[in-house]
Amino acid sequence: MSSATAAPVRIDPVNFEIFSHRLWAVGEEGRIALQRVTASPIVAQGGECMCSFYDAGGTMILACSGHLRFAAATSDAIRRMIEWFDADPGIHEGDEFIINDPYVAGSHTYDIMQIAPIFHDGKRVGWVASSSHTADTGGVLRGAATEIFHEGIRLLGLKIVENGVFRQDVFKTITEQCRDPHYVGMDIKSRTAANVVCGRGYQSLIKQFGIDFVLAAGQKLIDDAEAMARNKLATIPDGQWRSRIYGSARSHATRRSEPYQVICTATKTGDSLTLDFEGSSLQLASDQNSTLPSTTAHVAIALTNQIFWDVPWSDGRLKPVTIRVPEGTALNCRFPAACGRSPRIGQYVVEAVRDCLTKMLYAAGHTDDLNASWGSFWYLGGPGIFYGGHNRRGLPNPQGLYDIHGGGLGAAPTRDGVPSGGQMNIPSGGISDVERIELQYPFLVFSRNHATDGGGAGRWNGGTGTSRLMMVHGSTDTTVDYAPYAGMPHGAFGLFGGYPVGIGGLRALIDPGEGFAAALAAGKHPVMAADLLADGSGAKAVLPQGDPGRVLLREGSIQADFTQGGGGYGDPLDREPERVAQDILRRVVSARLADLLYGVVVDADGRLDAPATDARRAAIRAERKAQSAAPRAGTTGVSGSIPAVGAAPAGNAPAGNAPAGNAPAGNAPADNAPVDNAPADNAPADVLRFHESLEIVGTGSAAAVRCRRCGAGLGTAAENYKHHALRRDRSLDELAARGMPDGSPYLGVLREYACPGCATLLQVDVFVPQLGGDEDLWDIRINR
Amino acid sequence: MTSPRPPRYTVGVDIGGTFTDVVVLSSDGEVHINKAPTTPADFSGGVLDAIHEAATGLGLSRSEFLQRTDMIKHGSTVATNALITRKGVKVGFITTRGFEDTTLIMRAVGRVDGLGEDEIRRVTSITKPQPLVPPEKIRGVAERIDTEGAVIIPLDREGTRAAIRDLVEGQAVDAIAVSFLHAWRNPEHEEAVAQLVTELYPDGRIFCTLGSRLSQVAGEYARANTAISDAFVGPTVRKYLSNLEAQVRSEGFAGRILAMQGNGGLTSHDVATPISTLQSGPAGGMLASAYMAERLGHKRAVTADMGGTSFDVGVLDDGYWRYADEPIFERFRILMPITDITSIGAGGGTMSHIDEATGRLIVGPESAGARPGPVCYGTGGELPAITDADLVLGYIDPDYFLGGRRKLDKAAAIRAMEEKIGNPLGLSAVEAAAGIVRIIDSKMADLIRREVIKSGYLPEDFVLYAFGGASPVHAVGYARDLGVREIIVFPTAPVFSAFGIAGADLVHTRLVTRAYPLPMPAAELNADLDALEAALASELERDGLDAAPEFRRYVTLQFRRQSTGEEIRLPWDRFTDERIAELPDLFVAHYERLYGKGIAYAEAGLDIAGLRVDAVGRVAKPELRPVADSGGTLADAQKGARQAWFEGGFVETPVYDERRLAAGISLTGPAIVESPFTTVVVPPGATLSVDPYRNLVIRP
Repeated sequence: MSSATAAPVRIDPVNFEIFSHRLWAVGEEGRIALQRVTASPIVAQGGECMCSFYDAGGTMILACSGHLRFAAATSDAIRRMIEWFDADPGIHEGDEFIINDPYVAGSHTYDIMQIAPIFHDGKRVGWVASSSHTADTGGVLRGAATEIFHEGIRLLGLKIVENGVFRQDVFKTITEQCRDPHYVGMDIKSRTAANVVCGRGYQSLIKQFGIDFVLAAGQKLIDDAEAMARNKLATIPDGQWRSRIYGSARSHATRRSEPYQVICTATKTGDSLTLDFEGSSLQLASDQNSTLPSTTAHVAIALTNQIFWDVPWSDGRLKPVTIRVPEGTALNCRFPAACGRSPRIGQYVVEAVRDCLTKMLYAAGHTDDLNASWGSFWYLGGPGIFYGGHNRRGLPNPQGLYDIHGGGLGAAPTRDGVPSGGQMNIPSGGISDVERIELQYPFLVFSRNHATDGGGAGRWNGGTGTSRLMMVHGSTDTTVDYAPYAGMPHGAFGLFGGYPVGIGGLRALIDPGEGFAAALAAGKHPVMAADLLADGSGAKAVLPQGDPGRVLLREGSIQADFTQGGGGYGDPLDREPERVAQDILRRVVSARLADLLYGVVVDADGRLDAPATDARRAAIRAERKAQSAAPRAGTTGVSGSIPAVGAAPAGNAPAGNAPAGNAPAGNAPADNAPVDNAPADNAPADVLRFHESLEIVGTGSAAAVRCRRCGAGLGTAAENYKHHALRRDRSLDELAARGMPDGSPYLGVLREYACPGCATLLQVDVFVPQLGGDEDLWDIRINR
Repeated sequence: MTSPRPPRYTVGVDIGGTFTDVVVLSSDGEVHINKAPTTPADFSGGVLDAIHEAATGLGLSRSEFLQRTDMIKHGSTVATNALITRKGVKVGFITTRGFEDTTLIMRAVGRVDGLGEDEIRRVTSITKPQPLVPPEKIRGVAERIDTEGAVIIPLDREGTRAAIRDLVEGQAVDAIAVSFLHAWRNPEHEEAVAQLVTELYPDGRIFCTLGSRLSQVAGEYARANTAISDAFVGPTVRKYLSNLEAQVRSEGFAGRILAMQGNGGLTSHDVATPISTLQSGPAGGMLASAYMAERLGHKRAVTADMGGTSFDVGVLDDGYWRYADEPIFERFRILMPITDITSIGAGGGTMSHIDEATGRLIVGPESAGARPGPVCYGTGGELPAITDADLVLGYIDPDYFLGGRRKLDKAAAIRAMEEKIGNPLGLSAVEAAAGIVRIIDSKMADLIRREVIKSGYLPEDFVLYAFGGASPVHAVGYARDLGVREIIVFPTAPVFSAFGIAGADLVHTRLVTRAYPLPMPAAELNADLDALEAALASELERDGLDAAPEFRRYVTLQFRRQSTGEEIRLPWDRFTDERIAELPDLFVAHYERLYGKGIAYAEAGLDIAGLRVDAVGRVAKPELRPVADSGGTLADAQKGARQAWFEGGFVETPVYDERRLAAGISLTGPAIVESPFTTVVVPPGATLSVDPYRNLVIRP
């Protein structure tokens, strides 16, 4: 709470608008200053920074555009500074604290926050904060840490500016702990510069509007955000949504990458929401853990982008939301667990929360804002993106190279996902020009193009990411982090029958063999890693033995990798065949996957073969039925007697014939009956469409789930529809048609659920059997 | 002072969205301004109409007038229009193999480039724009050059030939854009492609443009966009200019036609890089401001142009303006030296509404545009716009909008203001309108403050130049908020860009990326300058300049490891080792002025990140002549009075005709000054005087 004022101040609506725009403008000025002074490419070009304002107690009033993680994190830091240091050594006018302890705030030690109190008439009335990502805190290089102590200098609140004076002793002590003191020093100065701008701006607001108004208006920004957030939640039907997202992390014990899971259960009641992460994996022995502040910050990112995008960025928007994270899990790790890779697991938190939120929004009819996952990797491991060593100018290499800020985005209900569209954390971020990269890093890039098959298949495809092939050029000591391969979809979810992940791209270190430089000079221009390995020139994948953590990249050696793609939306068999033909032409989808997943056949010239496509699609529907286990609703005792509705719009009680058996596979209506024409568009009041292909008819105990396309019944609303669906597992070996680069087996499967009547895909889950858990995760449970 | 010979004329033309403006500078020092409706189907119609108006005003036939005209300086919106409407030619794009998707990947920022803050926040809904060149018209060819310009993979000439043929024969393209990696450093592969195009299609029917000729700056995405845009609009722009030339020549025009560029200078129309004409209108406004700043002795000025949908701000420091780093046009970033002008959605059409959840009064950024337009247009607009608010407050005259060309429905504006804004907030229609005006004025002030602060100064260090249809109505409002002490409204404000264009010189600009650690030998830097100046001099020579060009030289410096540099103008023409040793001090002083004391970090080391040279070829032009105090009185200029709202109440406010306000006159607010295209509001407490150039000088 802000410091109380004697009498409530009337907030004139006009002055309030002027105030809030000016506050935002001041934050923007701060951020612009920060981005121009910083030495971090990821901050200057990638926008990974934030300026924000807080009330006297640390509640965020407003954050400007930038990296959302910081906005949520810094409230925690301020509260802790007050708790620890208010009495001793005291918090004074002209002070600025620097802090980067992820157990207090932020995600990892590279998230550095600088916060400065604002005083008026000798009294502390608020705070400004400027935060950014500085990828050097000393410690061991990325990949090897097992305790936070390995991850470099950890600041729990040190005055970098005291009484208005920049402290050279503190500055020198911090920067000299790091590999590149000048780089770190420039970043510290950039945050100080931004705080100066923000602090000055805030004072001018006090001068213009008076302190009482400024405090009351700040409170109103918080209250307004809460009201808007609650309004939004109230439009969503009550119910429970659940998501399971997988990731992997190096195990020093097994020397392999081992899978872990993030489970999120979202329970929406009235105008509030509870997010519970019970069931998520226990904390890991590697650096892929998330502290509670980091998990909370990532939850805030998901909420902000997916559901509260039109709510001002203040802490008020989070008040209707309760977050539960069991201690000792990888999402609330115990000190001193290492957490350098927390942003990675944080991405899975974002996706797990968004998986629930998108389905909630669908049930509320807010279909404009849904996207399938933005972070799908079909496997991970191999070379990473964190570099050591020196570039051709002898300067330390900038540590990270963040092409992952240009991954593919998830598909939406009426369009494909945006290819190479960005990343959740930084709505206005992007990736660097290759020319700029080559001026700063010791690489020569042979290709950076869209990955073929990089997005999840669906009626609407997930956007594909990029794949790249690059050679070390001008450095003899460059190193990169390296992890054992993990053959399993990471961070992936599809929506309503869309595949959660694409399967394009190759991650590997490649030794191009003798004579490569001469081959280049003679005109060889490699583009695809797979082609390079197969062209008979002697190039071969390099597989470091054991679990090296980091590997040396020899001059002239090659790294291949790809960025994440988006999940798909809807059954790929519903994608217009002409679109798939176009996808093939544009190298976004391979002819092999067009046949395997979309049932689309093209001739040698790439022209659509319509009759063959019809036949192929019918065959795939038949396969879904033939290869599926029988519906597994035996435990509920209602399977055989589920009354299914006919194609005609139902009245109250579902009535009609039995589902699956009566619908001949070859006669499925899908191609000619787009889902949008399904019966429920003029739905009576007691029909709730909660899924692209499913709806609930009736209320109370009579509420039943049925297919919107064929009318087949899938149990009651109080049951898991998946138990009434066809189910079959697709192996990644079959889909990818190639093994992992090191020959290790794939760990997960893609589990398809289809309508027992028309065989339309309803959901495709990633399932990793070795982690156990629900075989058929009940993802949507609406209270009726 | 009657000259024995009739006066000669210089004509400045600027095509705007609604009107085509013409400014005639007469050799006797007179300035004449005219407008004619813009004719989008063929812009030359509107240009000839406007020239006709000008001739008629001078008592001449168009042909007589053209025969007495030495120069037509033309700011054309043809390139802009072709890009916005996507009506360019079919372009094929040839790039480095492995980078065929660069213009589709758009550095991922392409998804948000060109969008406003509010749009960007709708994270899961926004998508990328349709590309100018679809994937099937993009070809990669094997070749690779590194950052130092060394050839790592030679150009595959056979593959290139096949790609060109395939694009022309298979894809039926009319133009080919070429952009290779690091061609900014070494253009030999791109030049080889151009030669192959000529060899294959010697008849010149394929328009070919190279990224490396347009920009020598690193950044393949924006450079590729530049090449593609140039090819996309190039044939259209060239055709337009040659048609226009044929028409004026047929009427006896024997002078020169020069095209205005976005860098604020002219080029001869037949060699103009078509894409360089982008944003020539805003550049014209900046140039007019620079021209007036020089005459009025203003060291620093901020330009504020408020039109129907946007509010555009530019900063003049010591007579010059900055170029935007990677200006975003429509939704594509490009690499051209284009005047740095920043916009927000604030114009006459900007709408207001009440947010349901919070009851907040939201002003903008959505605009009613021309359709449905403000409520008072009576063309279907329902939400009150700024023009409605100005009307309700009595600032603008419903019968004299655009000089009476459009009648406004004041009663409808009052009704909408009351229903949509006033009632929900418990305010009267007038109070609601006054609130809306305060909010928009303050948003504009916020934008000006941000732009001014970026230049390292404070608003009070600047004079404010207000132009564009709506700016002078609001200028005192936002200037008071900023603490600006003086506002100037020019008599040429309604045609300000055309005025700037009429007074423009030939300018060519070259920027190059470098990565030089300091200190370094002066000889190497001087060799760069020699090369740049030689290239620029030959461009000016092609433009027909016979005098020696003037050069302005800039260096971009950055602390080692930074990604963004700061440009400073060099106080010398060539480097010496002593001067190089002075650079760090020059830079630190500049840097600390921008970002604050103690922020500079010289210990990190300093790099030269780029060089820029502007070459200016002066073009003879008539000089603006101050007029003597004519002794006219205020009463002579008064055309009436009306009720206008100031500080909480309606006040009887005299209305003056701007054209009858004589130099030397001064007045105190409240007052309203009207000309057919501009209304100036002078609230109580502000004063206005008329200077010898007949500029209105307002002290807020």
